[in-house]
Amino acid sequence: MKQLKIVVFLFITILAFLSCEKDDICLEDITPKLIIRFYDFENTSELKKVLNLKIQIEGIDGVFTDESITILTDSIAIPIKVTDDFTKFILTITQIADDETTSENEDTFDLVYTRVDEFVSRSCGYKTLFHNTEIPLENVGGSWIDSIKVIDSEQNILNEKSAHVKIFH
Amino acid sequence: MLKYFINILPFIISLSLFAQEKEIDTIKYKDRYGLRVGIDLYNPINSLFDDDRKGLEFVADYRISKRFFLATEFGYIENTDHEDFFDFTTNGSYIKVGADFNAYKNWIGMENVIVVGLRYAYSTFNQTLNQYTINADPFLPEKTITNSIKYDNLNAQWVEFVLGMKVEVIHNIFLGFSFRGNFLINSKEPDNFKNLFIPGFNKVYLNNNGFSFNYTISYLIPLYRK
Repeated sequence: MKQLKIVVFLFITILAFLSCEKDDICLEDITPKLIIRFYDFENTSELKKVLNLKIQIEGIDGVFTDESITILTDSIAIPIKVTDDFTKFILTITQIADDETTSENEDTFDLVYTRVDEFVSRSCGYKTLFHNTEIPLENVGGSWIDSIKVIDSEQNILNEKSAHVKIFH
Repeated sequence: MLKYFINILPFIISLSLFAQEKEIDTIKYKDRYGLRVGIDLYNPINSLFDDDRKGLEFVADYRISKRFFLATEFGYIENTDHEDFFDFTTNGSYIKVGADFNAYKNWIGMENVIVVGLRYAYSTFNQTLNQYTINADPFLPEKTITNSIKYDNLNAQWVEFVLGMKVEVIHNIFLGFSFRGNFLINSKEPDNFKNLFIPGFNKVYLNNNGFSFNYTISYLIPLYRK
């Protein structure tokens, strides 16, 4: 009887010291990306697709790609810098002329904002929200983009549920 | 006449013997009543090889009837959790009060307990967010904030359902184990953070439930017999 007790307690001790694997995955919204929709500059209510769009961010090596950016697209989602209060985007389209020569048209614009960190959950941690977003007009290039407009009147980027910026081209 | 008396004699003797046996049977065993005090062994042993968790818990129960005990646990804990995007330290103390029911029918002289119990628990504590990394798209450089943020004067109260046992291994010395299901009633949450760990409650899961356990050694101070 005594021996049985000792065995039972050893077993329980071992169980108590076994640690568990993490089982929670982040499913909530994290730091939102900038969502841009492309419109026709002559008919501002019509979406107009962009061909062969290349997205770069100043100071960052490489070209940003994800499933939202295809050869022909009318809306894209681009990450915003959480390390600075502004992000300079470089959007380049490659045009193919009738004689099959290609020409790259590059336009840049700045997004200026104030950052607010918000707690999400144990598995997701913190996200950054972007308040008082502005696109200073003097920095908007005129190579292929005609004009840019921030949609939200509150000018906050809080989620990815709807577009934040319209680009007319 | 004498013949009849002799014939009936064995029956009378057996009757008196029977009565005597019955008398012996009616001597009642009296249970010991007393105060059992002890400490939790898990945290002191665990802290030998885990720097992230330090704590101490005292336990006590007092027998009030054949099968019921008043029970309490109190202690403090300092615990650091490392999550994927942040880590934080919780520091505080707690007290739990309630009752235990002994679901085990002991043989005469045995005093083992299979515990089914209920507790009300209260904790006051602080949380320190040591550092966090913004969860954002990996294309851009990540940002880690290393200035720690301390949230003081937090508290929580909850209910615990207890399952456990206490076994007398040496005279008056008991080893015990208990497993607890915790249900948070309310808690004072920090701004822009959450009480993900509460002293005495342990990890707080998404649905505000949790599990905790202890592994105790305790001594019975016998006070009287009943």
